[in-house]
Amino acid sequence: MTPERRNLVEIKAKRLQMNELTFLEHFAPKFDIPVPEHLTADASRSEIREALLRWGGAIVKPDILAGKRGKGGFIWEVEDVREAMRKLKLAAAAEINGKIARTAYMVQCIPAVQEIYTAITYDSRFLSPSFTLSLEGGMDVEEIGEDRKKTLPIDVFKGLDAYQASGLLEELGCPGQYVSLLARTFVKFWDLFISTGMRMAEVNPWRVTPEGEVYACDFKGIFDDANYKYGDAEAVLPEYPEGRTEFEEEMAEWSAASHQGQAHVAELGGKKVLPILFGGGASTIIIETLEEYGGDPIFLSDFGGNPPYARMYGTAERCFRYKLKDASLLLILGGKANNTLIDVTFQAIADALRDYVACNGPIHMPVIVGRGGPRLVQGLLAMQRTLEELRLPYVIFGPDTPLTLVAEYAAKVASTLEDTR
Amino acid sequence: MRARTLADLLKKGDRVAVSNITGREASHVSIVSQAYCNNIVGGWALGHGGEMVRCSKGDDIPVFADCAGLMRQLPPERRPNKVIVYSPPPAVYGDVKETLNYGSDCVETIYIITEHVSVEVSAKIHNLARDAGIDVVGCNTLGVINTHDHVRVGAVGGEDPDETFVPGSATIISNSGNMVNTIASYLTTAGIGTSFGISTGKDTLILTPLAELLRLAQLDDNTRIVVLYVEPGGLYERQALALARAGEFTKPMVVYVAGRVAEKKSVSLGHAGAVVEGGGTSASAKAAEFDAYFGVEPFSMEMRYRGTEELPEGLRRGIRVRSLHDIPAAVQLVYRALHMDRDFAPRGEMKLNPWFANIGELGKKLPAVLVPAPGKIPEPFKTQFDRILQASLGFMPARRTMRNQSHASSNDGRVTRIYGRDVMDLMRNRSFAEALILYWTGEEPARPFEPRLVEMSLMAALTNGPGTLSAQAAKMSASAGNSPHTAMIATLATVGTDHGGNGREAVKYLADLFRPTPMNDPYDPNHGLDLRAMAMQTATAFKQAKDASKDAGVNYARIPCLGHPVFHDQDVNYDPRERAIWAYLESEGIYNIFLHFYHELAGALREVGVSRKVWAVNVDAAIASVWLGIAWPKLRQGRMTFERAADLAFLGFALGRAAGGAGEFLDHRDYGLPLDMRVPVEECKSLTPPVGGNHTRP
Repeated sequence: MTPERRNLVEIKAKRLQMNELTFLEHFAPKFDIPVPEHLTADASRSEIREALLRWGGAIVKPDILAGKRGKGGFIWEVEDVREAMRKLKLAAAAEINGKIARTAYMVQCIPAVQEIYTAITYDSRFLSPSFTLSLEGGMDVEEIGEDRKKTLPIDVFKGLDAYQASGLLEELGCPGQYVSLLARTFVKFWDLFISTGMRMAEVNPWRVTPEGEVYACDFKGIFDDANYKYGDAEAVLPEYPEGRTEFEEEMAEWSAASHQGQAHVAELGGKKVLPILFGGGASTIIIETLEEYGGDPIFLSDFGGNPPYARMYGTAERCFRYKLKDASLLLILGGKANNTLIDVTFQAIADALRDYVACNGPIHMPVIVGRGGPRLVQGLLAMQRTLEELRLPYVIFGPDTPLTLVAEYAAKVASTLEDTR
Repeated sequence: MRARTLADLLKKGDRVAVSNITGREASHVSIVSQAYCNNIVGGWALGHGGEMVRCSKGDDIPVFADCAGLMRQLPPERRPNKVIVYSPPPAVYGDVKETLNYGSDCVETIYIITEHVSVEVSAKIHNLARDAGIDVVGCNTLGVINTHDHVRVGAVGGEDPDETFVPGSATIISNSGNMVNTIASYLTTAGIGTSFGISTGKDTLILTPLAELLRLAQLDDNTRIVVLYVEPGGLYERQALALARAGEFTKPMVVYVAGRVAEKKSVSLGHAGAVVEGGGTSASAKAAEFDAYFGVEPFSMEMRYRGTEELPEGLRRGIRVRSLHDIPAAVQLVYRALHMDRDFAPRGEMKLNPWFANIGELGKKLPAVLVPAPGKIPEPFKTQFDRILQASLGFMPARRTMRNQSHASSNDGRVTRIYGRDVMDLMRNRSFAEALILYWTGEEPARPFEPRLVEMSLMAALTNGPGTLSAQAAKMSASAGNSPHTAMIATLATVGTDHGGNGREAVKYLADLFRPTPMNDPYDPNHGLDLRAMAMQTATAFKQAKDASKDAGVNYARIPCLGHPVFHDQDVNYDPRERAIWAYLESEGIYNIFLHFYHELAGALREVGVSRKVWAVNVDAAIASVWLGIAWPKLRQGRMTFERAADLAFLGFALGRAAGGAGEFLDHRDYGLPLDMRVPVEECKSLTPPVGGNHTRP
């Protein structure tokens, strides 16, 4: 897994992610996947002592929605109870890349004669699920050479069968005595993946003991929230203490409340431009242009998809309530819409802005607008009138001005004002 | 894939069926599509069988209860070969299966517009459709447009595809639906039109991958260049470049790769599939792969491209752009390098063109380069703006608590101001009427004659003799022994819609008539309107409404401010006070379109037989015309609310008449007897007979 991927899923998939502890507690038993024994941080001293005696040693880990736990120095091997309890406390308080641990847990040390990497994901090359396998478990999959890992497309209706899995193991040169058990275990892994509506699942590594037993020794999964099966899994997924800001949390709930129109935001931590953007593609380009020219956008947003008035008003109202006071420039920008009605969306934004001023008093910031699409003229007039009434300085562009030029202009105005301030 | 060229995805003569066609978006887009290309043969929606989607242009669209019904009931020559799915996410899989079950003998392509379809369902759809030999575009595609054939499926091109999609040589393939439109619009500035515009969708699985589309574009004779908009996620571009490297795609490409922001910050991009998963799927990795294939540096406006020998060879493969707005220039570069002609003369420019700007004081803080120069609104938008502005009057103010605030006046403990002007200065240098116009409109008089007209209006309103209701009220108050201000209150209390308040109705009436016209300056006699024709038309409509109402025995809306109880027995009647205002206007060479119109209307009403004599244009009409003349430019330019404009005429009358009431009070108080306005009992008649017994007190 690349660092980029981890960053991306953290916000988008906070509650869509299944960490190892949830896997150990709920999903591995349900799908009969062999896992090491574990204890959570609330275990008593005697339970820990007893477990360590039985296991010989344990690994202490934080349960956190962040990757690089090992590289961050938050995974420890422990052998005695005092050290285990101390490390469990440390792990439970871990903070990695701004994320805070929910709790900590320790898992039994599993001696291994063989470590194996597996992942199941939907693969753009095959337009189907695929199963990736390597006998070099424990490593980042990107670091494993192409000749030492194999990817097999899976028929989404038939699933992964043990013969396919064993064939793949044999191709990679897996010792024969482990093939059968591993292949049957991988089928359970597939069952978990497909039965819970996952988009990606990874066990890295599976450890094969000298006795020939197999254990899933670390797990990560990402659910597909568009899959109805996820609803069943969601009930047992824990809440993590850190993560979204209050604004993101409210926007996420608002976003999930309806399929009519997008209400997607992701905070960027900027301090200059408040961008009300339309279109998944356009919003990405605009944010990149803002960043390039010093616009320091507060968040990335996508409010396209032809939202009705109430939806757009609610979205804008939330953005203004949380973020307008921090901004030095309001940017309302999108490409040439295909079906988003500009009069409806702009009237809603204008009304939200007006109501914000009514509740919070006058604001003094430039507003830069750029848009094209159905009923544009009515929309721009509605916006212009409101900006006139609110006595806000403004510049309004039509679809003949490229949106990236508008974004560049907004970024430069915001930067200049910031410098002046 | 089943398709062999892009035209196999969509061409003239294709017959499209729409799932969930009665949905908000599906019905709207379908109606626009019918107007553009009339290629929809039917749709289905559960519970809506037998309905019809009415189209203003093109065929109405029959709605069937389900897919099976549509396939069975449409005649063979109307059976669809394209299906577009607009169903909500949980219904998409079912709709696709229905299509395969009942339409596998005729359907060639399924377009899935729906967003939030699960990856698992997408994979299953791919699997089933592949086995059935049917192509799937999506999920979450916006659709496809074939510009040369003037046909589309989905919403590509929005409400007016012709505005953006001009036949030409570029095929746009985009992960973002919106970018198909935007890029097509940009390309016209380079004189490049579109062959196909294709929105692939950007779910995790793109069921018609880029490599397949390039394979189809290779065989499209109209396509000479492919413009790509690419987002992170998936290895679609790597597959496509492998195809190109293998010589199976040889046309140049201009590419914009979005999504670098996701690599620097922990954000998710808007599209579900725009997620980096493994090597080669990030924006940077994709950009690097394109650059390596092209063998030329990304396009730069600053770079001089002439004289580099290896450049044309690289450009034969294409070039990547760093900014979206560089696409037209990069396409032009490729065309020049390959000696290809553009499709038509460039339309418009890639530059900042503000349509509206009002940066006020902010302009002083910005360097000159950031102060927007006034732009030009291009057609057809300019005409649309003019039309809407003509049809609308005034603005809607932002509501807020006004308890301790006022725009109209201020007092800082030293100076009292009216809309920012020092009252002392006004007292020294201006007339009462000038100050009144400022206080009531928020602006100083725009024309030098306006204060005099207001003054005349106030005088005209002072009185119409002691018998008027308002004068009687003042006299009543005096007769009761009240103090002077109560007489003014009593005067105002008798001013209403039927007495004195008709000016407000006149303003509304005139505004409705002149709102849709291009008239902006009411004092300009060269307004270009045929007032006589307007008056005749209005009078004829009024007559028809009046006759119809009388036939039906119901009331009808009167024309305000025409006719007078006193001045009515001449062939052509006049209200002398209105005449005084008219005479002033004439003597000063001032024109007022509203008053002029009133006279035309009075004549027209007789002409069409509504009246036997020419009714007097009364003083309320004159007052309304004066105040509407002052307000009209402010209404047109959105600086005054319409409610205020209507109130001005009423207030103008009320202010004059309240002063008149004071005059009646003073006279009556000086000379009258207490209770002399009382009506003696014997003059009062009871209209109700006594009921039962003796009502006389013992």
